[in-house]
Amino acid sequence: MTSLPGNSIRYVIPVASGKGGVGKSTVTANLALAMAREGARVGVMDADVYGPSIPTILGVASLPEMDEDDKIRPVEQDGLKIISMGFFMAPEQAVVWRGPMLHKTMQQFLNGVIWGELDYLLVDLPPGTGDIQLSLCQSIPIAGAVIVSTPQDVALNVAQKAIAMFRSLNAPILGVIENMSDYVCPHCGVHDEVFGAGGAATMAERLGVAFLGAIPLTTAIRRASDAGRPVVVSAPESAPARAFFTIAERITTLVSARPEGASARPEVTF
Amino acid sequence: MTSDGPGATTMQNNPTAPLEIGRANIHDLRIRWSDGHESVYPAADLRLACPCEGCAQQSAPRPPGQIRLLPAGIQAVHPLRVELIGQYAIRVYWSDGHSEGIYGFDRLRAACPCCLVKRGA
Repeated sequence: MTSLPGNSIRYVIPVASGKGGVGKSTVTANLALAMAREGARVGVMDADVYGPSIPTILGVASLPEMDEDDKIRPVEQDGLKIISMGFFMAPEQAVVWRGPMLHKTMQQFLNGVIWGELDYLLVDLPPGTGDIQLSLCQSIPIAGAVIVSTPQDVALNVAQKAIAMFRSLNAPILGVIENMSDYVCPHCGVHDEVFGAGGAATMAERLGVAFLGAIPLTTAIRRASDAGRPVVVSAPESAPARAFFTIAERITTLVSARPEGASARPEVTF
Repeated sequence: MTSDGPGATTMQNNPTAPLEIGRANIHDLRIRWSDGHESVYPAADLRLACPCEGCAQQSAPRPPGQIRLLPAGIQAVHPLRVELIGQYAIRVYWSDGHSEGIYGFDRLRAACPCCLVKRGA
Protein backbone atom coordinates (compact mmCIF):
# COMPACT_ATOMS: atom_id res chain seq x y z
CA MET A 1 0.00 0.00 0.00
CA THR A 2 1.39 3.36 -0.98
CA SER A 3 0.40 6.21 1.28
CA LEU A 4 0.33 9.54 -0.45
CA PRO A 5 -1.29 12.41 1.43
CA GLY A 6 -5.04 11.76 1.44
CA ASN A 7 -4.72 8.82 -0.94
CA SER A 8 -4.42 5.09 -0.62
CA ILE A 9 -2.91 3.32 -3.61
CA ARG A 10 -2.31 -0.40 -3.40
CA TYR A 11 0.05 -0.92 -6.34
CA VAL A 12 1.95 1.65 -8.37
CA ILE A 13 2.98 0.21 -11.73
CA PRO A 14 5.15 2.33 -14.02
CA VAL A 15 4.99 1.44 -17.70
CA ALA A 16 8.30 2.22 -19.33
CA SER A 17 10.16 1.79 -22.56
CA GLY A 18 13.64 2.54 -23.69
CA LYS A 19 12.82 3.83 -27.13
CA GLY A 20 9.93 6.12 -28.01
CA GLY A 21 7.18 5.14 -30.41
CA VAL A 22 6.80 1.56 -29.24
CA GLY A 23 3.17 2.04 -28.20
CA LYS A 24 3.73 2.42 -24.48
CA SER A 25 0.82 4.81 -23.96
CA THR A 26 -1.54 2.64 -25.98
CA VAL A 27 -0.50 -0.36 -23.90
CA THR A 28 -0.91 1.63 -20.66
CA ALA A 29 -4.40 2.79 -21.60
CA ASN A 30 -5.60 -0.64 -22.66
CA LEU A 31 -4.11 -2.39 -19.63
CA ALA A 32 -5.73 0.15 -17.30
CA LEU A 33 -9.11 -0.32 -18.98
CA ALA A 34 -8.74 -4.09 -18.87
CA MET A 35 -8.04 -3.94 -15.14
CA ALA A 36 -10.97 -1.58 -14.57
CA ARG A 37 -13.32 -3.86 -16.53
CA GLU A 38 -12.31 -6.68 -14.20
CA GLY A 39 -13.56 -4.58 -11.29
CA ALA A 40 -10.35 -2.97 -10.06
CA ARG A 41 -10.10 0.69 -9.06
CA VAL A 42 -7.53 2.08 -11.47
CA GLY A 43 -5.78 5.38 -12.00
CA VAL A 44 -3.67 6.45 -14.96
CA MET A 45 -0.94 9.03 -14.47
CA ASP A 46 0.41 10.26 -17.78
CA ALA A 47 3.95 11.17 -16.76
CA ASP A 48 5.09 11.59 -20.35
CA VAL A 49 5.23 15.34 -19.94
CA TYR A 50 7.03 15.82 -23.27
CA GLY A 51 4.45 14.00 -25.36
CA PRO A 52 1.30 13.35 -23.36
CA SER A 53 -0.98 11.12 -25.42
CA ILE A 54 -3.19 9.47 -22.80
CA PRO A 55 -5.98 12.11 -23.15
CA THR A 56 -6.18 11.41 -26.89
CA ILE A 57 -6.04 7.63 -26.57
CA LEU A 58 -8.67 7.56 -23.83
CA GLY A 59 -10.78 10.18 -25.60
CA VAL A 60 -10.87 12.48 -22.59
CA ALA A 61 -12.97 15.52 -23.37
CA SER A 62 -13.21 17.12 -19.93
CA LEU A 63 -10.55 18.75 -17.79
CA PRO A 64 -9.59 18.11 -14.18
CA GLU A 65 -10.89 20.54 -11.58
CA MET A 66 -9.35 22.01 -8.46
CA ASP A 67 -11.02 21.54 -5.09
CA GLU A 68 -11.19 24.11 -2.32
CA ASP A 69 -7.77 22.98 -1.01
CA ASP A 70 -6.14 23.50 -4.43
CA LYS A 71 -5.88 19.78 -4.98
CA ILE A 72 -6.49 18.41 -8.45
CA ARG A 73 -9.56 16.26 -9.00
CA PRO A 74 -8.59 13.83 -11.78
CA VAL A 75 -10.83 13.28 -14.76
CA GLU A 76 -12.99 10.19 -14.30
CA GLN A 77 -13.92 8.22 -17.37
CA ASP A 78 -14.61 4.56 -18.19
CA GLY A 79 -13.92 3.69 -14.56
CA LEU A 80 -10.46 5.29 -14.63
CA LYS A 81 -9.08 8.30 -12.79
CA ILE A 82 -6.82 10.12 -15.21
CA ILE A 83 -4.26 12.89 -14.91
CA SER A 84 -1.99 14.12 -17.68
CA MET A 85 0.28 17.02 -18.52
CA GLY A 86 -1.83 17.22 -21.66
CA PHE A 87 -4.64 18.70 -19.56
CA PHE A 88 -2.51 21.68 -18.64
CA MET A 89 -1.02 22.75 -21.95
CA ALA A 90 -2.22 23.57 -25.42
CA PRO A 91 -1.44 20.99 -28.13
CA GLU A 92 0.99 23.35 -29.86
CA GLN A 93 2.93 24.02 -26.64
CA ALA A 94 6.08 22.10 -25.73
CA VAL A 95 7.50 21.28 -22.32
CA VAL A 96 11.09 22.53 -22.20
CA TRP A 97 12.07 21.95 -18.61
CA ARG A 98 15.09 21.00 -16.63
CA GLY A 99 15.12 18.25 -14.01
CA PRO A 100 13.94 20.17 -10.94
CA MET A 101 10.78 21.34 -12.71
CA LEU A 102 10.05 17.80 -13.88
CA HIS A 103 10.53 16.54 -10.33
CA LYS A 104 8.14 19.18 -9.05
CA THR A 105 5.51 18.12 -11.57
CA MET A 106 5.86 14.49 -10.55
CA GLN A 107 5.41 15.47 -6.93
CA GLN A 108 2.32 17.46 -7.86
CA PHE A 109 0.87 14.51 -9.76
CA LEU A 110 1.57 12.19 -6.84
CA ASN A 111 0.74 14.39 -3.88
CA GLY A 112 -1.49 17.10 -5.29
CA VAL A 113 -4.04 14.84 -7.00
CA ILE A 114 -7.06 13.38 -5.24
CA TRP A 115 -6.55 9.77 -6.28
CA GLY A 116 -8.57 8.46 -3.36
CA GLU A 117 -8.50 4.68 -3.00
CA LEU A 118 -6.98 2.82 -5.92
CA ASP A 119 -6.00 -0.77 -6.48
CA TYR A 120 -3.62 0.14 -9.31
CA LEU A 121 -2.01 3.35 -10.46
CA LEU A 122 -0.46 2.89 -13.89
CA VAL A 123 2.16 5.50 -14.66
CA ASP A 124 2.86 6.12 -18.33
CA LEU A 125 6.52 7.17 -18.28
CA PRO A 126 8.29 9.06 -21.04
CA PRO A 127 10.72 6.98 -23.06
CA GLY A 128 14.27 6.77 -21.81
CA THR A 129 15.98 6.75 -18.47
CA GLY A 130 15.84 10.33 -17.31
CA ASP A 131 14.65 12.62 -14.55
CA ILE A 132 11.01 11.55 -14.53
CA GLN A 133 11.83 7.88 -14.08
CA LEU A 134 14.32 8.68 -11.35
CA SER A 135 11.93 11.04 -9.61
CA LEU A 136 9.11 8.49 -9.56
CA CYS A 137 11.24 5.60 -8.32
CA GLN A 138 12.77 7.76 -5.64
CA SER A 139 9.46 9.17 -4.45
CA ILE A 140 7.16 6.22 -3.94
CA PRO A 141 7.36 2.48 -3.53
CA ILE A 142 6.50 0.85 -6.82
CA ALA A 143 5.01 -2.63 -7.13
CA GLY A 144 7.00 -3.32 -10.26
CA ALA A 145 7.77 -1.83 -13.62
CA VAL A 146 6.39 -3.04 -16.92
CA ILE A 147 8.71 -2.61 -19.91
CA VAL A 148 7.21 -2.25 -23.39
CA SER A 149 9.27 -2.90 -26.48
CA THR A 150 8.77 -3.66 -30.12
CA PRO A 151 10.57 -6.79 -31.34
CA GLN A 152 13.32 -5.28 -33.46
CA ASP A 153 16.89 -5.02 -32.18
CA VAL A 154 17.01 -1.23 -32.24
CA ALA A 155 14.15 -1.09 -29.71
CA LEU A 156 15.25 -4.06 -27.63
CA ASN A 157 18.74 -2.68 -27.24
CA VAL A 158 17.30 0.46 -25.67
CA ALA A 159 14.70 -1.45 -23.63
CA GLN A 160 17.60 -3.17 -21.88
CA LYS A 161 18.68 0.21 -20.61
CA ALA A 162 15.27 0.77 -18.99
CA ILE A 163 15.61 -2.61 -17.26
CA ALA A 164 19.12 -1.69 -16.13
CA MET A 165 17.84 1.63 -14.78
CA PHE A 166 15.12 0.01 -12.65
CA ARG A 167 17.62 -2.54 -11.40
CA SER A 168 20.10 0.13 -10.47
CA LEU A 169 17.36 1.70 -8.34
CA ASN A 170 16.50 -1.68 -6.84
CA ALA A 171 13.02 -1.20 -8.24
CA PRO A 172 11.28 -4.48 -9.03
CA ILE A 173 10.45 -5.33 -12.65
CA LEU A 174 7.25 -7.23 -13.40
CA GLY A 175 8.22 -8.09 -16.95
CA VAL A 176 8.39 -7.21 -20.61
CA ILE A 177 5.58 -6.80 -23.15
CA GLU A 178 6.27 -7.18 -26.85
CA ASN A 179 4.12 -4.70 -28.77
CA MET A 180 3.53 -4.67 -32.54
CA SER A 181 4.58 -8.29 -32.46
CA ASP A 182 2.84 -9.84 -35.41
CA TYR A 183 0.80 -8.42 -38.27
CA VAL A 184 -2.08 -10.39 -39.74
CA CYS A 185 -3.36 -9.00 -43.03
CA PRO A 186 -7.09 -8.38 -42.59
CA HIS A 187 -7.69 -9.21 -46.25
CA CYS A 188 -5.71 -12.38 -46.86
CA GLY A 189 -4.85 -13.53 -43.32
CA VAL A 190 -1.14 -13.77 -44.07
CA HIS A 191 1.14 -13.19 -41.05
CA ASP A 192 3.94 -10.71 -41.46
CA GLU A 193 6.47 -10.01 -38.75
CA VAL A 194 6.99 -6.37 -39.67
CA PHE A 195 9.37 -5.66 -36.78
CA GLY A 196 10.33 -9.28 -36.22
CA ALA A 197 8.80 -11.41 -33.47
CA GLY A 198 9.90 -13.05 -30.27
CA GLY A 199 12.76 -10.66 -29.62
CA ALA A 200 11.30 -9.36 -26.36
CA ALA A 201 10.74 -12.87 -25.03
CA THR A 202 14.33 -13.78 -25.84
CA MET A 203 15.61 -10.60 -24.21
CA ALA A 204 13.43 -11.18 -21.13
CA GLU A 205 14.81 -14.68 -20.71
CA ARG A 206 18.37 -13.50 -21.17
CA LEU A 207 17.97 -10.73 -18.60
CA GLY A 208 16.03 -12.87 -16.13
CA VAL A 209 12.77 -10.96 -16.24
CA ALA A 210 9.29 -12.31 -16.96
CA PHE A 211 7.79 -12.12 -20.43
CA LEU A 212 4.25 -10.85 -19.96
CA GLY A 213 2.93 -11.37 -23.46
CA ALA A 214 2.71 -10.03 -26.99
CA ILE A 215 0.33 -7.54 -28.58
CA PRO A 216 -0.22 -7.88 -32.33
CA LEU A 217 0.29 -5.02 -34.78
CA THR A 218 -3.19 -4.27 -36.04
CA THR A 219 -4.94 -1.36 -37.65
CA ALA A 220 -7.78 -1.91 -35.18
CA ILE A 221 -5.63 -0.90 -32.20
CA ARG A 222 -4.33 2.22 -33.95
CA ARG A 223 -7.75 3.23 -35.19
CA ALA A 224 -9.39 2.67 -31.80
CA SER A 225 -6.68 4.65 -30.01
CA ASP A 226 -6.89 7.56 -32.44
CA ALA A 227 -10.66 7.60 -31.98
CA GLY A 228 -10.31 7.75 -28.21
CA ARG A 229 -12.01 4.38 -27.72
CA PRO A 230 -9.23 1.86 -27.00
CA VAL A 231 -9.77 -1.61 -28.37
CA VAL A 232 -10.39 -3.07 -24.90
CA VAL A 233 -13.54 -0.91 -24.72
CA SER A 234 -14.58 -0.70 -28.36
CA ALA A 235 -13.98 -4.34 -29.28
CA PRO A 236 -13.46 -6.30 -26.06
CA GLU A 237 -13.98 -9.67 -27.76
CA SER A 238 -11.36 -9.04 -30.47
CA ALA A 239 -8.00 -10.82 -30.50
CA PRO A 240 -6.00 -7.65 -29.70
CA ALA A 241 -8.29 -6.85 -26.75
CA ARG A 242 -7.96 -10.42 -25.49
CA ALA A 243 -4.18 -10.02 -25.57
CA PHE A 244 -4.47 -6.95 -23.33
CA PHE A 245 -6.85 -8.74 -20.94
CA THR A 246 -4.45 -11.69 -20.67
CA ILE A 247 -1.46 -9.46 -19.93
CA ALA A 248 -3.45 -7.37 -17.43
CA GLU A 249 -4.39 -10.55 -15.60
CA ARG A 250 -0.75 -11.67 -15.53
CA ILE A 251 0.28 -8.33 -14.06
CA THR A 252 -2.40 -8.32 -11.37
CA THR A 253 -1.53 -11.91 -10.48
CA LEU A 254 2.17 -11.05 -10.23
CA VAL A 255 1.72 -8.03 -7.98
CA SER A 256 -0.85 -9.68 -5.73
CA ALA A 257 1.41 -12.74 -5.34
CA ARG A 258 3.89 -10.60 -3.47
CA PRO A 259 3.98 -11.29 0.27
CA GLU A 260 1.72 -9.22 2.49
CA GLY A 261 3.46 -6.18 3.87
CA ALA A 262 6.22 -6.44 1.30
CA SER A 263 5.76 -2.81 0.36
CA ALA A 264 6.06 -1.55 3.93
CA ARG A 265 8.58 1.24 4.24
CA PRO A 266 11.25 0.89 6.89
CA GLU A 267 11.14 3.26 9.80
CA VAL A 268 13.77 5.99 9.75
CA THR A 269 14.57 7.20 13.27
CA PHE A 270 17.20 9.76 12.34
CA MET B 1 22.14 -9.50 -10.04
CA THR B 2 18.90 -11.14 -9.04
CA SER B 3 16.22 -12.19 -11.46
CA ASP B 4 12.98 -10.23 -11.45
CA GLY B 5 10.91 -12.98 -12.96
CA PRO B 6 8.06 -14.70 -11.15
CA GLY B 7 9.24 -16.20 -7.94
CA ALA B 8 12.53 -14.39 -8.15
CA THR B 9 14.01 -12.36 -5.33
CA THR B 10 13.70 -8.61 -5.39
CA MET B 11 14.07 -6.05 -2.67
CA GLN B 12 10.36 -6.13 -2.06
CA ASN B 13 10.07 -9.82 -1.25
CA ASN B 14 13.53 -10.12 0.21
CA PRO B 15 13.35 -11.64 3.70
CA THR B 16 16.18 -9.31 4.70
CA ALA B 17 14.43 -6.04 3.96
CA PRO B 18 15.26 -3.21 6.38
CA LEU B 19 12.80 -2.56 9.19
CA GLU B 20 14.48 0.34 10.95
CA ILE B 21 17.24 2.76 10.06
CA GLY B 22 18.74 4.92 12.77
CA ARG B 23 21.86 5.98 14.60
CA ALA B 24 24.16 3.54 16.36
CA ASN B 25 25.94 6.56 17.87
CA ILE B 26 26.73 10.08 16.73
CA HIS B 27 28.85 8.78 13.88
CA ASP B 28 27.58 5.44 12.82
CA LEU B 29 24.48 4.17 11.06
CA ARG B 30 22.46 1.23 12.28
CA ILE B 31 20.02 -0.85 10.23
CA ARG B 32 17.76 -3.49 11.72
CA TRP B 33 16.75 -6.07 9.13
CA SER B 34 13.61 -8.18 8.91
CA ASP B 35 15.55 -11.37 9.72
CA GLY B 36 16.51 -9.85 13.07
CA HIS B 37 20.09 -9.03 12.14
CA GLU B 38 21.50 -5.61 12.99
CA SER B 39 24.22 -3.97 10.96
CA VAL B 40 26.33 -1.06 12.18
CA TYR B 41 28.14 0.91 9.49
CA PRO B 42 31.03 3.13 10.59
CA ALA B 43 30.37 6.58 9.14
CA ALA B 44 33.80 7.01 7.58
CA ASP B 45 33.58 3.65 5.81
CA LEU B 46 30.12 4.41 4.54
CA ARG B 47 31.15 7.86 3.33
CA LEU B 48 34.15 6.41 1.50
CA ALA B 49 31.88 3.81 -0.09
CA CYS B 50 29.57 6.52 -1.49
CA PRO B 51 28.17 5.03 -4.72
CA CYS B 52 27.65 8.36 -6.52
CA GLU B 53 29.33 8.77 -9.87
CA GLY B 54 31.92 11.24 -8.61
CA CYS B 55 32.97 9.16 -5.60
CA ALA B 56 32.85 5.91 -7.58
CA GLN B 57 35.37 7.36 -10.03
CA GLN B 58 37.57 8.39 -7.11
CA SER B 59 37.52 4.89 -5.64
CA ALA B 60 38.05 3.08 -8.95
CA PRO B 61 41.18 0.90 -9.15
CA ARG B 62 44.25 2.99 -9.91
CA PRO B 63 47.49 2.21 -11.66
CA PRO B 64 50.36 1.20 -9.36
CA GLY B 65 51.95 4.20 -7.76
CA GLN B 66 48.94 6.44 -8.08
CA ILE B 67 47.51 7.07 -4.65
CA ARG B 68 43.97 7.96 -3.70
CA LEU B 69 43.48 11.16 -1.75
CA LEU B 70 40.99 10.73 1.07
CA PRO B 71 38.72 13.66 1.88
CA ALA B 72 40.07 15.83 4.66
CA GLY B 73 38.48 15.16 8.03
CA ILE B 74 37.05 11.82 6.90
CA GLN B 75 37.26 10.41 10.42
CA ALA B 76 35.00 13.18 11.74
CA VAL B 77 32.38 12.96 9.03
CA HIS B 78 28.97 11.83 10.22
CA PRO B 79 25.45 11.57 8.86
CA LEU B 80 23.20 14.54 9.52
CA ARG B 81 20.07 13.11 7.98
CA VAL B 82 18.92 10.00 6.17
CA GLU B 83 16.22 10.09 3.55
CA LEU B 84 14.35 7.06 2.33
CA ILE B 85 14.45 6.63 -1.43
CA GLY B 86 11.36 4.70 -2.44
CA GLN B 87 11.79 1.48 -0.52
CA TYR B 88 14.96 0.45 -2.16
CA ALA B 89 17.63 2.74 -0.88
CA ILE B 90 18.64 5.64 1.35
CA ARG B 91 20.32 8.95 0.68
CA VAL B 92 22.66 10.12 3.43
CA TYR B 93 23.23 13.82 4.03
CA TRP B 94 26.80 13.97 5.35
CA SER B 95 28.34 16.58 7.60
CA ASP B 96 30.88 17.38 4.85
CA GLY B 97 28.03 18.59 2.63
CA HIS B 98 27.94 15.57 0.35
CA SER B 99 24.59 13.89 -0.37
CA GLU B 100 24.77 12.56 -3.90
CA GLY B 101 25.06 8.87 -3.12
CA ILE B 102 22.08 6.55 -3.11
CA TYR B 103 22.83 3.47 -1.03
CA GLY B 104 20.77 0.47 -2.15
CA PHE B 105 19.59 -1.85 0.62
CA ASP B 106 20.84 -4.94 -1.17
CA ARG B 107 24.34 -3.50 -1.31
CA LEU B 108 24.16 -2.31 2.28
CA ARG B 109 23.15 -5.76 3.44
CA ALA B 110 25.90 -7.37 1.38
CA ALA B 111 28.37 -4.94 2.91
CA CYS B 112 27.33 -5.51 6.54
CA PRO B 113 30.66 -5.17 8.40
CA CYS B 114 30.12 -8.05 10.83
CA CYS B 115 28.99 -10.39 8.05
CA LEU B 116 32.08 -9.49 6.02
CA VAL B 117 34.26 -10.38 9.01
CA LYS B 118 32.48 -13.72 9.41
CA ARG B 119 32.94 -14.46 5.74
CA GLY B 120 36.60 -13.52 6.01
CA ALA B 121 36.18 -10.88 3.34
